[in-house]
Amino acid sequence: MNGFSVLLQKEFREAWRSWKFLWIPLVFALLGMTDPLTNYYMMDILSAVGNVPEGFEMLMPELGPADLLQASIGQFQTIGLLVLMASFVGTISKERANGMATLMYVRPISFRAYFMSKFVVMSTVGFISIVAGYSASVYYIAVLYGTFEGATLIASIGTYFVWLLFVFAVTLMMSATFTSVVATAGAFVIIFVGQIMVAFVGVFWTVTPWKLPTYGVQLIRGTMEMSDYWWSLAVTLVITIVCMNIGVLTMKKNVAMTKI
Amino acid sequence: MLEELAKIPWAVIAPLILVQIILMIVALIDLRKIHETNGPKILWVFIILFVNLLGPIAYFIVGRKQS
Amino acid sequence: MTTILQVTGLTKRFAEKTVVDAISFTLEEYTSTALIGPNGAGKTTTLSMLTGLLKPTIGNVELSGVDLRANIGFLPQYPQFHPWLSALEFTEMAARLNGVPSKKAKVDAQKTLEFVGLENALNKKIATFSGGMKQRLGISQAIVHKPKLLLLDEPVSALDPVGRREVLDLLKGLQQETTILYSTHILNDAEEMTDQLLFLRDGKLVEQGTLREVRQRFDEPRYVVEFSTEEEARLFASHSELFGKAQGCYVFVDIQEEEPTMQQLLQQLSACPYNVRKVARQTASLEEIFMKVAKRV
Repeated sequence: MNGFSVLLQKEFREAWRSWKFLWIPLVFALLGMTDPLTNYYMMDILSAVGNVPEGFEMLMPELGPADLLQASIGQFQTIGLLVLMASFVGTISKERANGMATLMYVRPISFRAYFMSKFVVMSTVGFISIVAGYSASVYYIAVLYGTFEGATLIASIGTYFVWLLFVFAVTLMMSATFTSVVATAGAFVIIFVGQIMVAFVGVFWTVTPWKLPTYGVQLIRGTMEMSDYWWSLAVTLVITIVCMNIGVLTMKKNVAMTKI
Repeated sequence: MLEELAKIPWAVIAPLILVQIILMIVALIDLRKIHETNGPKILWVFIILFVNLLGPIAYFIVGRKQS
Repeated sequence: MTTILQVTGLTKRFAEKTVVDAISFTLEEYTSTALIGPNGAGKTTTLSMLTGLLKPTIGNVELSGVDLRANIGFLPQYPQFHPWLSALEFTEMAARLNGVPSKKAKVDAQKTLEFVGLENALNKKIATFSGGMKQRLGISQAIVHKPKLLLLDEPVSALDPVGRREVLDLLKGLQQETTILYSTHILNDAEEMTDQLLFLRDGKLVEQGTLREVRQRFDEPRYVVEFSTEEEARLFASHSELFGKAQGCYVFVDIQEEEPTMQQLLQQLSACPYNVRKVARQTASLEEIFMKVAKRV
């Protein structure tokens, strides 16, 4: 891991100076606020828009705190991931394409160290983001609906973070392996098509990374089949490590793609 | 007047306003320091100031130009 | 002299096209070598293979028994930096990635930036740098870790005359400290700072040796005599026994096997009534040699 701390410093400086540590978490915070707020004020919004007939009583489903948290996670899963992945998917491929990698790759650096430095920075941004997102969501749910139990809430955040590590490993692996355009398409297909597949056939497919975000909420509800949970967690971590190793290898292999 | 102010659910609105202000200020600071943007700088000033919440975010996603 | 770099049979093929074709050469310690050749001759590809960024199809590069990557400094033709870093941060990072301990890296980075003339821009973001400043920064990141071998791809081609002069002087200052191999198509630069010439054409090494050796091989020495009028030049060329060619106010006299000697020429000149302004023996410039090598079949 030659030069890991130097490379880490470089990646942190980049993320810091482009404000990624600030604006991405704030986007997550906004996403976390959206669902509790809109649901709570749904009747007001509808009547303000003015298409509600006199005496109309809509049967709104009675939503509990866990349902709203699930809705917020749904926001993280789409717009949130889109923002995170789009911000980092070029981190290796773009550096190669614009020639900035040249002055790095000619030095005796370890590609594992370089890949890991990017992974650590992306994970840190991701961690701060979901903490911000969860906090915002839980705050509004607490103000408008009801509270959660601390321990399961933290377990839920932890579970979602493991899922994020998987997303990041896939994103960076794609970035190391392909050009920016292909990497973006590939990473998005894997993450989002996977989500759609799991939504359709998830009943039969219980051990999978794509289920972790849902499992995080089920932990709170207390309806989690724990063996499925542990297996999914283990499988996700294994795939994450495999993706990281593939990424290191392809990053090394693709040195010749660097623009000189 | 005070009564009306008290009626506003501050617990609900304050965090939203806070996030909006932080995003706006940071985007403006960055815009001031940055060398070049995608599209004219003045356009981004207006987007950041007048498009609530989404304006600063749009700036960070597509407005900043590196290298 | 000790050999520091040994290149044997270096070849690069992309699909069907052979860009670099079995070139072999050696570099001696503390010498400067110019890699010259027309555009597309394979100069950049050769340098890329020497840095290790590009794998040769066949062939071998050996840096006197030590690890190549740890002991070279490289300046690409268009160096790209991370624009959000400052000059000092970038140079310091470069040093540390080459294994210089962190405290020393900071001191060395500062000294190197002073050496290349960026002492007033240490903490400025690279995003604000001009082309000349970037080239200086490029040199500083290539030399900050005191590499055994310095590889430079067209180090001065993109600069204006003033910048070129300054960068050339910088590089000359480095000649005592390291071995330099640089590519260029500006031959005046090569003429000024070179111990050895490597001439690439269509990926092949068609000519190599010291400037003096190459010159001897291609030189067609001649005398130039300048007269005050064209008429005089014409008359001298047609009347003297030296078979000179008149061209404007000049007469050119070819030298073959040291004949005629300067004495003979001067005798001829003193015997005639014309106004002579200048007499000189002329050797071919590198530019002319370049043209000859480039066109030779």
